[in-house]
Amino acid sequence: MEQTVQNSGSALSKPVNQKKQNIGYWRKYGVFYFMMAPALLVLLVNNYLPMIGSIIAFKNVNYQTGVFHSPWVGWANFKFLFSTSDAWNITKNTIIYNVIFIVLNLIIGVALALLFNSMRNRKLAKFHQTMMFLPYFLSWIIITYLVYGFLNPEIGLLNKTILPWFGVDQPIDWYTESKYWPYILPIVNTWKGIGYYAVFYLAAIIGIDKEYYEAATIDGATKWRQIRSITIPLIRPVIIVLSLLQVGRIFYSDFGLFYQVTRNSGPLYDTTLVIDTYVYQGLVVTGDFGMSSAAGMYQAVVGFVVVFTSNLIIRRISKDDALF
Amino acid sequence: MFRKGSKRVKSSTMLLSVILLTSMGLTACGGNNNNSEGSSSPSSSAKASESASPSPSASDSASPSPSESASPELKPYELKVLWEGPAQKDFPAIEAEINKYLQPKINATVKLSTLDWGVYTDKMPLLIAGRTDMDVVFTAQWNGHANNVAKGGYLALNNPDLPVGNLLEKYGKDITASLDPTFLEGAKIKGFNYGIPTNKELAAQGGVLYRTDIAEELGLTEALNNVKTVADLEPILKTVKEKKGSSIIPLFMKDGETFNTHYMIQHDYLGDATIDGLVRKDGDDPKVISKFEDPDYMAQLDLTRKFFQEGLINKDAATTTLGTQDAMKKGNVFMITSSMKPGKDAEFGNAINMPGKIKQIDLGPRTVSTGETAGAMLAISTTSKDPARAMMFINLLHSDKYLNNLLNFGIEGKHYVKVSDNVIKAGPNAADYNPGVAWELGNQFLNYTFETEAPDKWDQFKKFNEGAHKSPALGFTFDVEPVKSQAAVLINIAKQYQAALETGSIDPKKAQEWYDKEKKNGLADVIAEKQKQLDAFLASK
Amino acid sequence: MAAANQRVKSVMDISTPANTAINVFFWIYSAICIIPLVLVLVVSFTDEKTVLLHGYSLFPHKLSLSAYDFLLNDWLNVVRSYGISILVTVVGTIVSLLVMAMFAYPISRRDFKHRGLFSFLMVFTILYNAGLVPFYMMYTQYLHLQNSILALMIPYIVQAFFVLVLRTFFTNSVPVELIESAKIDGAGEWRIFAQIVLPLSLPVLASVGLLCTLNYWNDWWLSMLFINDNVHINIQYRMYKALQDLQFLSSNSTAYAAILAQNPNFQLPSETVRMAMAVVGIGPIVFAYPFFQRYFVQGLTVGAVKG
Repeated sequence: MEQTVQNSGSALSKPVNQKKQNIGYWRKYGVFYFMMAPALLVLLVNNYLPMIGSIIAFKNVNYQTGVFHSPWVGWANFKFLFSTSDAWNITKNTIIYNVIFIVLNLIIGVALALLFNSMRNRKLAKFHQTMMFLPYFLSWIIITYLVYGFLNPEIGLLNKTILPWFGVDQPIDWYTESKYWPYILPIVNTWKGIGYYAVFYLAAIIGIDKEYYEAATIDGATKWRQIRSITIPLIRPVIIVLSLLQVGRIFYSDFGLFYQVTRNSGPLYDTTLVIDTYVYQGLVVTGDFGMSSAAGMYQAVVGFVVVFTSNLIIRRISKDDALF
Repeated sequence: MFRKGSKRVKSSTMLLSVILLTSMGLTACGGNNNNSEGSSSPSSSAKASESASPSPSASDSASPSPSESASPELKPYELKVLWEGPAQKDFPAIEAEINKYLQPKINATVKLSTLDWGVYTDKMPLLIAGRTDMDVVFTAQWNGHANNVAKGGYLALNNPDLPVGNLLEKYGKDITASLDPTFLEGAKIKGFNYGIPTNKELAAQGGVLYRTDIAEELGLTEALNNVKTVADLEPILKTVKEKKGSSIIPLFMKDGETFNTHYMIQHDYLGDATIDGLVRKDGDDPKVISKFEDPDYMAQLDLTRKFFQEGLINKDAATTTLGTQDAMKKGNVFMITSSMKPGKDAEFGNAINMPGKIKQIDLGPRTVSTGETAGAMLAISTTSKDPARAMMFINLLHSDKYLNNLLNFGIEGKHYVKVSDNVIKAGPNAADYNPGVAWELGNQFLNYTFETEAPDKWDQFKKFNEGAHKSPALGFTFDVEPVKSQAAVLINIAKQYQAALETGSIDPKKAQEWYDKEKKNGLADVIAEKQKQLDAFLASK
Repeated sequence: MAAANQRVKSVMDISTPANTAINVFFWIYSAICIIPLVLVLVVSFTDEKTVLLHGYSLFPHKLSLSAYDFLLNDWLNVVRSYGISILVTVVGTIVSLLVMAMFAYPISRRDFKHRGLFSFLMVFTILYNAGLVPFYMMYTQYLHLQNSILALMIPYIVQAFFVLVLRTFFTNSVPVELIESAKIDGAGEWRIFAQIVLPLSLPVLASVGLLCTLNYWNDWWLSMLFINDNVHINIQYRMYKALQDLQFLSSNSTAYAAILAQNPNFQLPSETVRMAMAVVGIGPIVFAYPFFQRYFVQGLTVGAVKG
């Protein structure tokens, strides 16, 4: 196998060279395509073939006549996304929350992973890891009830017990005061999801060759220094991948968090309404999947542009870290 | 109503022709040809098969006696029946029992299935999009009927131009005979019925339910008996508040259960109540207005706010998801708002384990709008391979007492036992078959009553239905398609304000903000479109 | 234990005050994470009326088993649903890990010409999703997988997010020299993949495996879409359905009256049942975490050995 590659590399006659190269390539890499085949098949079924169906974004579908024979309606299904006077507010909410979430997931996730890794007592570290992961097991519905248990204006833990400790006697009506939610949502989101990201960072840190640290210790590098010059640079690829993939979904939001945890309370909309909840509510009335398809397309295009640009920049800096 | 004997021969030949038609695979021309033939005879084939069987018919008997003259000419067909509600363990047993009865009548068997509450609204559009094989399907205005019709899910049942012809006329004679025409008239979409409404209470009325034990304790019974308007409630609720303090919530409200919901303030939103643009149900003016142009609505907001500020309404009204029934069950609620019908208080008292301790006060007139007529229907799916048979089945549910009760209450002696002729109580195996959805399936006036209910329940219902004021827009359903992007925006705006305003949780001044925002986001378009469609509808009548 | 400490000591040691501070921090943080879960557990055993009147409490006035009574009266079905959940989760996770790793390995190889293209095919599925209807039609109209357990597995087999994470790990923690030398020894790609790449990547396989397990276990959505009979539904969907029914029954007097007619003492517990459902739903899966954690540690050992 090695032989063939070397031969083809030094061959002179061009057509023969080309052909030989091809044969060499397939003999060397053909097996890769076999390895990828099962996943590609699944992608085809799950993602790529159904994409043909997303033409319903441009149609007014009647299923009796069939998707393909339904009339075209141009951009009509997209109109509702931009025709509201709240369009800017919704977009802003979506993006800002996502940016906050990405940053928190990154900083706190890496920090927790580092702390776990530096705990002396391994058994204890394992115990705390398990604890940290527990909230991830809870569904949003249950979290909604828990949050309500805290924030209920009448019998909630916060108004009834905790706030009076701090001398706040006037109960706060959490579900009609929008100004608190830019804090509540990131706290809840981080509390639930941070275990997820920390696990990846921890796996990356564990995977680092201990020799690096040994050498650094011999050179007298401080702990902090080691983190800065060994750990972070070595887990950088993981950081980039995890963050970039979140960036790609910057126009999407977690429906459970924004719809259920806020109890879809109207007076909070200034700070809680995001594209997904907005579209969902429209869909309930119009029952038109064309509109949700259109919204999905819009979200995807924006995400695509953002990811593509970031990827390009990353490629410039370090080719290996780029997503594609 | 029941033509017998004399027509027998003729209707049997009719039946034969229908069978030939169905076995020919419902080709387009076949259907049309038959249509003219069909109208020549007033008796439908379903009627035919029924009159062919001597004993069980609509009103006289409820005992199962399979007819001797079976209908071998109809090809065997399995009807897939789907309704909304929990699945039942004993479906196979009920199916077998129904099949035994149904095969001789229309040579059909049934396959029963359900979509759970809350799952239906999400899943039905998918079943329609996936062209799933179904025949008889429950549908209602509140679970997406208009949208599902627009997406081609259900068959028009009285459109003679369809290949299958006018199904209602051909196979639904008993339906048209027994159902108040207001139902069919009201449930139409663009001139056609896409579902057969359940025969049940028709009128709508609002009111409040309250705890009689607390009222007696505080000596409020007489004051309550004299309540005529919402404002009359104020001193009563205040007394409750003063004497009971924080241990009792005088009035419990939540989103959708307020003085302003559709049944108490007489608004007909011509379809979805979340899209502004309405006519008054209790008036006769077909002019579409915004709710903010209705002084009654604004006055009601002010009054509710006053109640809220006086501490008469629960603090979490705007966001609570606790149902009014659960709230009452807690035991610390005095009064709730509710839609009314005869015997509502008794039914509710049983439901919350306080039998006899609940009383109702009806407020405002009884009215009828499209929403009430289309509140529960059986549709035929466009994927049905034999819509004629499906229609025959629906017809039987509306006319055949035995079949109707078998489907709704199960097998006698097993799932229920008879107390008297028409009164039943739960049987030993009631837990295995108890769909509890009689209001979804056919004709409620054929239903047995439970021994806990008023034995003259159905007579009371009939009286309740009589003389209700018809909305000027009765029979009209707004097609949101031309302004759907504006509607999608308006609904989001409404969500922002509605619950908080109507429960009195925020200042009514915010209503102006809401109105302004609606105006900025295409309210005029929506109202103009509603008016245009309504005018066209009225002109075509 | 002592040996483990010994091994890491020279490299990872930190000062005692720092260690104490970290310990204190984690005890607090763990408490913040566990208390809500304990609350869920306690509420599920609380008397319904107590919850409605006094809110959630870790020390309720009155306890009750009625929520579990309500949920488990159909225990045969619950057991069967557990069986389906376990089957789907175990088989799904194993297949999924294998298929994703097999895709991630080629695109992690710097010398593979098409790695960019195939990576992009993955990334694109994160960015763009065709929507529910086409997806649903694909599975029901073309694959005919209604009421099939396969429909509960296939959709989650390939998750682009995980594939890219795997790729990143393969690129970074499998030294190129190791692969080169294996090749010189005459090993084929399959062997390299199975005997070098996978063992070296245990920590990430464990993380991804854990998250796959959770995806499968927590899913009720696929069951809602594809399972129409009442037999092949998994535990999450059974719980979800119960929740939906409960919400409806508590607001629909007609349906509720019918139940009451047969059993006048019937009490519909709501808040507590929701919590009991959470307990029934997450109970077994909580034990999955320590299982995967073992492989984190194992990965650590392998990492130490490889150098």
